[in-house]
Amino acid sequence: MNANEQVWTKVINQVRTWARMNSIWAVHFNSGSCNGCDIEILATLTPRYDVERFGIKLEGSPRHADVLIVTGPVTRQARERLIRTYEQMPEPKFVISVGACSISGGVFEGCYNCVGSVDDVIPVDVFIPGCPPRPEAVIDGIVQLLTELKGGKARAPQKQNVPEEIAA
Amino acid sequence: MNTLTSLFTILIFPAGLTLVLVGMLYEWIDRKLVARFQNRVGPRWFQPFADALKLFAKEQITPEIVNPYLFFGLPIAALAGALTAALYVPLLGLNPASNFPGDLIVTIYLLSLPTMCVGLAGWNTSGRFSLIGATRALTQLFAYEAPFLLAMLGPALVAGSWQINTINSYTQNHWVIFTQPIGFIVALIGLMGKLELPPFDAPEAETEIVAGALTEYSGRGLALFKIGKSVELIVGLSLISSFYLGGLNGIPSFLLKSLTLLLIMSMFQVLLTRLRIDQTVGLWWRFGAILVLAQLVVTILWKGFSL
Amino acid sequence: MNIEQVLAQAEQLLAAWNKETIHPESNRLDVVIVADDLRAAVIALHDAHWGYLSAITGLDLGTASAQLEALYHFCNGPAVASLRVRLPRDQAILPSIADIIPPASFFERELQEMLGFTFSGLNISARLFLSDDWPENVYPLRADFTLDQAAPVAVRQPDKLPEQGFVGGNTFVIPIGPQHPALKEPGHFEFTVDGEIVTAARMRLGYAHRGIEKAAESRNWIQNLYLFERICGICSHTHAMAYSIGVEKLAQVEIPARAQAIRELVAGLERIHSHLLWLGVTAHEAGFDTLFMYSWRDRETVMNLLEQITGNRVNYSANLLGGVKCDIGLEQAKAIKEGITYLETRIRHYLEVVTTDTMFLNRTRNIGTITFAEAENFGLLGPTARASGITRDVRIEAPYGAYTRFPVSVVTETKGDLEARCVVRLKELLVTCLAIRTIVDNLPEGPLTARMPRKIPAGETISRIEAPRGELLYFIKSNGGETPARVHIRTPSLCNWVSVLEKAVGRQLADVPMLIAGMDPCFSCNDRVVTVRHTGSNENWSWKQLREYGIEYYKR
Repeated sequence: MNANEQVWTKVINQVRTWARMNSIWAVHFNSGSCNGCDIEILATLTPRYDVERFGIKLEGSPRHADVLIVTGPVTRQARERLIRTYEQMPEPKFVISVGACSISGGVFEGCYNCVGSVDDVIPVDVFIPGCPPRPEAVIDGIVQLLTELKGGKARAPQKQNVPEEIAA
Repeated sequence: MNTLTSLFTILIFPAGLTLVLVGMLYEWIDRKLVARFQNRVGPRWFQPFADALKLFAKEQITPEIVNPYLFFGLPIAALAGALTAALYVPLLGLNPASNFPGDLIVTIYLLSLPTMCVGLAGWNTSGRFSLIGATRALTQLFAYEAPFLLAMLGPALVAGSWQINTINSYTQNHWVIFTQPIGFIVALIGLMGKLELPPFDAPEAETEIVAGALTEYSGRGLALFKIGKSVELIVGLSLISSFYLGGLNGIPSFLLKSLTLLLIMSMFQVLLTRLRIDQTVGLWWRFGAILVLAQLVVTILWKGFSL
Repeated sequence: MNIEQVLAQAEQLLAAWNKETIHPESNRLDVVIVADDLRAAVIALHDAHWGYLSAITGLDLGTASAQLEALYHFCNGPAVASLRVRLPRDQAILPSIADIIPPASFFERELQEMLGFTFSGLNISARLFLSDDWPENVYPLRADFTLDQAAPVAVRQPDKLPEQGFVGGNTFVIPIGPQHPALKEPGHFEFTVDGEIVTAARMRLGYAHRGIEKAAESRNWIQNLYLFERICGICSHTHAMAYSIGVEKLAQVEIPARAQAIRELVAGLERIHSHLLWLGVTAHEAGFDTLFMYSWRDRETVMNLLEQITGNRVNYSANLLGGVKCDIGLEQAKAIKEGITYLETRIRHYLEVVTTDTMFLNRTRNIGTITFAEAENFGLLGPTARASGITRDVRIEAPYGAYTRFPVSVVTETKGDLEARCVVRLKELLVTCLAIRTIVDNLPEGPLTARMPRKIPAGETISRIEAPRGELLYFIKSNGGETPARVHIRTPSLCNWVSVLEKAVGRQLADVPMLIAGMDPCFSCNDRVVTVRHTGSNENWSWKQLREYGIEYYKR
C-alpha cells in the first residue's frame, strides 16, 4: 500500500470508529432475571439519565442493533433464544452483561433451571456488576465499552463460545 | 443550463449532497425538540450523521428467501424518489432546478415512492412483522394520499397553475394559509402521515410489531431508507411552506418557515398517543378527506364568483 | 361475622366429607378429605360462595412416607380453609376442578409438572414453567430430585425448515416474545391474526423460571430472605415481607410496632414506584412516550426516598426476620413528606391525563372490558379485579402487620376496561400517599427488631400479602430445622393471565400490548416455579432463513 492509500485507510477507520462510538443501538434481552436490572436499564432512557444524548438508542429488532444487553441467569428456556438473538445481530456486535445474575448466576447459582453465566452461552464484552446496578453504573459500563472501541480494538468476531448448531 | 451546472445542482447543491446533509440536520432538530418537550436533553447535533455512517459500516445480512434485486434495489429506489422529487421544489428557497407544467403531480407521486418501497420491502422479506408493517404502511398511504393531494390542490387552484414554480411566485403575495386554513392543517398532518411520524407511526409501532416493514433490514439498506425519509421531510416542508406560508424566495425565508412548521410537527409528536391503524384510516377518510373537499368546493365557488 | 363463625360455616359445608379437622393457626381450618370427595367438597364451597380458590399447594411428605399431599386453599376474608388430600407417590391421581374454577388449571399444571400429580380431566400436558427440553418424569420438587437428573443443556436445538406462518387465507400467527420491545420480561405469546384481528391466543411462560422453591429448601431461613427478595425486582419488598411475616408466625415472635409501621411505609413507597413504572410502560405501549418520560421522571422522586431510607433503589432489603433494618429519622421523615407532597400533585395530574386525554382514551376506553361476573369466574386479583368492581384487597379483608393501625381504603371502579385499571391504580396511589403521611407523623416508638430463633419450630403457615399486582400467598412449612421444608409461592400474575388470553380474541393486534400491560404482568414472579408450557407445536425456525419466527425470540 502506498502512502496515500495508507492515509486513506486510516481516515476511513477513524471515521468508522467515530461513528460506531457515537451511535450505539442496543437491543435488550431478559434471560430470566427478576426484572430489577431491566428497570434500571430502562431508567437510563428517562429524563434523569437520558442516554439518548450519548447516541444510545434502544431498538426493537436485533438486526438494527450493535449491542446486546443481557440480564438474568439464563434459564434453560431462554438459552436458545438468547443465542439466536445474538446470531441475528450484524457485525460488529458487542454484548454487555448486566447484573450479578448474568455474571455468575447471582443468588440463583445452583438452581436447576439456570445455566448460570451469560458468558457460558455467548461471548461477553463488558460485565456490569450490581444487584441491580444503578443506571449510572450501566452508563459507566457502556462508556467502558466505547473506550475499548476508541482504542481501536476492533474485535474479531468471536464464535468459540457459541455452540454449533446441529444440522437438521 | 449546461450539463455541468445541472450535474452540480442535482448532485451537490442545492439537491443531492446538500439536501441529504440538510435533511439530517432537520432530523436532529426534530429529535432535539421532541427530547426537550419530554424534559430530556436530547441528541447531539451530529447524531444523524453518526447513525448513518455507522449503519454504512455494518454488516448487511440478507435473508435467504428474498429476491436479491428487490432487496438491494428498493432502498436505492426510495432514496432516488425522494431526491428526484426535490428537483421540482424550491429547495432551500432557491429556484427549482427544473420545472414544467404539471410538475406538482409528478412531485407528489415521487414523494409517495419511498412509502411504496417500504411496503414492497416488507412484503419481500415476508417475515410476519414485516408483512404487517408493510400492510399498515400501504393502508396508511391510501388513507392520507388523497386528502394530501387535495390539500396541495387548493393553492394550485387559486394560483391557476400545476407548476410549482408558478404557484410559488403567486403565493409570494398571497398567504394562502389565511384563505384556506383547513387545507393547511390537512397538508401538515398529511406530511406527518407520509413520514410515519407519531401519532401515525402504526406501520413501525415498535411495541407491537418490532420494527415493521424494515425489521429485516440492516446496514446500508436501512441507512438509505432513513436518509430517504429525511430528504422527504425537507421536500415536504418546502412544499407546504411554499404553498401556504407565502412562498419561498431565499434561504432565510426557507429556514424561518420550515423551522416553524417543524416546531409544530414536533409538538404534535409529543402531545398525541399513537393511533391504531383502523383509527388512522377512519380519521383520514372521515375528517381529513371530507374537510378538505369542503374547503376545495368553497375555493372553487369563490374563484368562480370572483371571475 | 368473626373468623370463628366464618370457619365454622366452612366446616359445616364440608361436614359430609370431613375425615379430620385441624386448626394449624387461629384463622385457618384444615379439612382432610379423600381424593374421590374432592370435587364434591369444592362444589360445596363454590356454590355457597364461601371465599375463592387462592392457591393449590403440593407437598412431598418424604420418601419414607411415600406420600404426596395437595392442599386447596380457599380464602374468605381473613379466614383460610384448606382441603388436604393425601395420595400415594406413584399413584397421585386427583380429579381436576378446572371446569368449576377456571384458574385452577394453572395451579394444577404446576403440581403436575413439579411434583408428578396427575389430574384426570385436565387435558393439558404441555409444560407451563419447565423448559421444552426438560426430561420426562423428572419432578423437581420431589424430595428425591437431584441436579443430575435434569440433563445439562449443552446442545443446540436443531433447525427445522420454517413454515410460512400462514394458517390459511389472511391468517397467520404472530409471535410476541420472549424478545420483544413490548415485553420487558420474557414470556411468549402467540396470537393468530386474521388481518389485524386476533382470532386465537396462546401463551408460554417459563423463561424466567429459576427453580427458586427448590433452592429455598437448601438455604437457611436467613439466606432465603435474600433469595425471595429477588423473585421480582419490582415487588421485592412484598415478597420479603410475606416471607418474614410467615416465619415470624411460625416462630411465634411478635415484632415491634415500629418495625411493622416501617414495613408498611416501605411497602407503600414500593407501591408508588410500581404503579408509576406501570403507568410509564403502559403509555409506552400505547405510543405515548411523553407520559412514559414524565412518569418515570417523577418516579425518580420515590426511588430517591427509598434509597435514602434503605440504601438501594431496587431490592431494598429493608426486612429482617424479626423486624426491619432501617430506621426513619427526622431527616428522612421530612424528605418523605416533601416527596409525597410532590408526588401527590403529579399523580393527580396523571389521573387527569388518563381520564381526559382523548387520544390516550382511544387506546384504553372500552378496550379489554371484563365484567364483574367474568372477573369472579376468572379468579382475578389485584387492581385488575378491582377495576371490575370486585373488592378484593388483602390489606382490607385480612389486615396484617401495621394495616390494623394504619388502614387504607379500598379503591374500585366498575367499568372493567383498561381506563378503569389506570384509574384504580392511580387512585390507590393517592390512598397510599395519605397512609404514608399518617405513618410518618405517628411512627410508634420502640426497637426495630425482635429476637428470632435460628431454628424455626415445626409447623405450617400461610401468609397473604397485597402486592402491587394482587394477592401474594406464601405457604411455609418447617420441620423444626435450619432450612424450610417447603415454601410455596403463589403470585398474583398467575391468576391474571387469563384476562389477556380471553380478552385478546376479537380485538386488534394493536390492542394486545395494551391488554398485556393492563394486567401489569410480572413474569419473574410467575416463573419462580418451574413450569413450562408448550404451545402446541414445537417449531424451531432456522435463523439462517431469518424468518419471522427468529424474531419471535426477540426480546427488547
